[in-house]
Amino acid sequence: MSMRRGQRWAIARYVGLTLFAIPWVVVPIWMVVVNSFKMAGEAANLTLDLPSIWSIAENYTAVLVQGNYLRALGNSLLISGVTIFAVVLIGAAAAWGFGRSRSKAMQVAYYIIVLSILIPPTLIPTIYLLRDMHIEGSTLGYILVLIGTRMGIVVFLATGFVRALPPDMEDAAFIDGASRLQIFFLIMLPLLTPVLFVGSIILVITVWGDFFFATFLLPGSQRATLPLALYSFATSSVQSFRWNLVFAHVVLSSLPLIVAYVFLQRRIVGGLTEGALKG
Amino acid sequence: MTGRPTSTLRDGARTAPRRARLKPTNIWFALPAMAFVGLFFVVPLALNLPLSFSSWTTYRSEIVWNGFSNFSLLHGQGYLINAIWVTLAYSVVAMLVQNVVSLSLAYALRDSTLLNGFFRSLFFLPVLISPLAAGYVWRGILDPAGPLNAFISMFWPGFDFAWLGNITTALPAVAFVDAWKWIGLTTLVYIAGINSVPREVNEAAYIDGANAWQAFWRVTFPMLAPAFTFNVVVTLIGAFSAFDVIQAMTGGGPGAATRSINVLLRIQWGLGNFGAGSALGLIITVMVIVAAVPLVAWLRRREV
Repeated sequence: MSMRRGQRWAIARYVGLTLFAIPWVVVPIWMVVVNSFKMAGEAANLTLDLPSIWSIAENYTAVLVQGNYLRALGNSLLISGVTIFAVVLIGAAAAWGFGRSRSKAMQVAYYIIVLSILIPPTLIPTIYLLRDMHIEGSTLGYILVLIGTRMGIVVFLATGFVRALPPDMEDAAFIDGASRLQIFFLIMLPLLTPVLFVGSIILVITVWGDFFFATFLLPGSQRATLPLALYSFATSSVQSFRWNLVFAHVVLSSLPLIVAYVFLQRRIVGGLTEGALKG
Repeated sequence: MTGRPTSTLRDGARTAPRRARLKPTNIWFALPAMAFVGLFFVVPLALNLPLSFSSWTTYRSEIVWNGFSNFSLLHGQGYLINAIWVTLAYSVVAMLVQNVVSLSLAYALRDSTLLNGFFRSLFFLPVLISPLAAGYVWRGILDPAGPLNAFISMFWPGFDFAWLGNITTALPAVAFVDAWKWIGLTTLVYIAGINSVPREVNEAAYIDGANAWQAFWRVTFPMLAPAFTFNVVVTLIGAFSAFDVIQAMTGGGPGAATRSINVLLRIQWGLGNFGAGSALGLIITVMVIVAAVPLVAWLRRREV
């Protein structure tokens, strides 16, 4: 009895999931892609039909040329790369410190850093601070702010991981005369790789997509990241919303993370599921 | 030959707990992180308080104390209460949609089979799209000419409704998109939570005569509580900072129907009212603290 009921339940579940996935993910993606291939007038109807006149090259060239795409891509790659590298390295070092320390002061510092995950960073005083440091409106200022405000999640995840590790390996290496830096780079960092991978995924998602802080901290098209380029491209047309071009920009802006995801999806989904359990 | 050193080592271990280990001077390793968080998170957070009560604008370079005038300026224009209300409603809708949908998806996809892996990956796709881009995608779906109205027209010929142009529907619509964008991630957290419940516990419930519904609510759900606490708090508080999706979909309109605190902050910034902008930032900080502390305490009490 249970065999048949189990099978019927499984079939019903997958039918339900498919019916849910179509409007939830498939239609939105299809609408964006297919309309990004159309001429402006046809795209304005926002139908799901194939284009009657294909306009792929024109639309995507417009995004590359007028949409500031390539420069924004370069800026996004630079900003995300530097930020994630710094946060992971500095955060892992801090996690080792916090995970192995029993001092009250260190405990307090740890809680303050964890609190930074929950409390959203305050924008206008940040601008005030950057102005005071003479780095307002610069890529450097934006990266420093990102490092300071995204550190919490990595420190939190990695400290929990360090606490669960027995200190035997570090002890043994220390007795054998290894320096702290050697122990950190040769023992701790490799052990922390899985949790740092999870942290990097969360970081790349939030840093790549950041629009709020970027709007205020990165003025001008020179320093624009992909969300900034998309926004100024979408709002640049006075007459009407050019759906075909906006969607082409959406496709190109989303492509880098989606391509990376296609190659790494097993590790990403698996890592996040396991990482969530530990965090 | 090797007998003696071994025995002394053992004796040493027994008499004094061998903590020839790293002294807790690892503080140096934590220092860079403390410096970054201190300078770029704690300092602005502290600065926000005096700035909220200051007269900092584009037009006046000196910053002086001006009491509650930033708050009364915002309140006098009728903006403040509306923005707080919009933000709260947005957050509650986003939190509810996100947790109900992702908990259901997680329950359906809890087993790690090949097919479930495919669906998990599919539902994860929106997480990779920037919130701004997600806003543009759904602005298209919800457009009067868009696919949603086209679908409804199949049953209701001539159906034409501007979801984002209507004061009542615009706010839940933008909040829904916020939830849509993040559901893939919360689903994974719930899957991890569900799978941390030992199978035997569920089987025992079935043997005792529970049906699937009862087993879920009486057995699985209470043990899911840590994941539930985490997701509810994070989604609610995260939505207090609502900005990107709204900016893409409605720009705060129609009227002020979707003008959240951060959208209002952007407007005040554009007007050069930096003090008023700081005051709005302070309101979000206070809201987060007020919501987080009792929510965490309350949800913790429900945990097994």
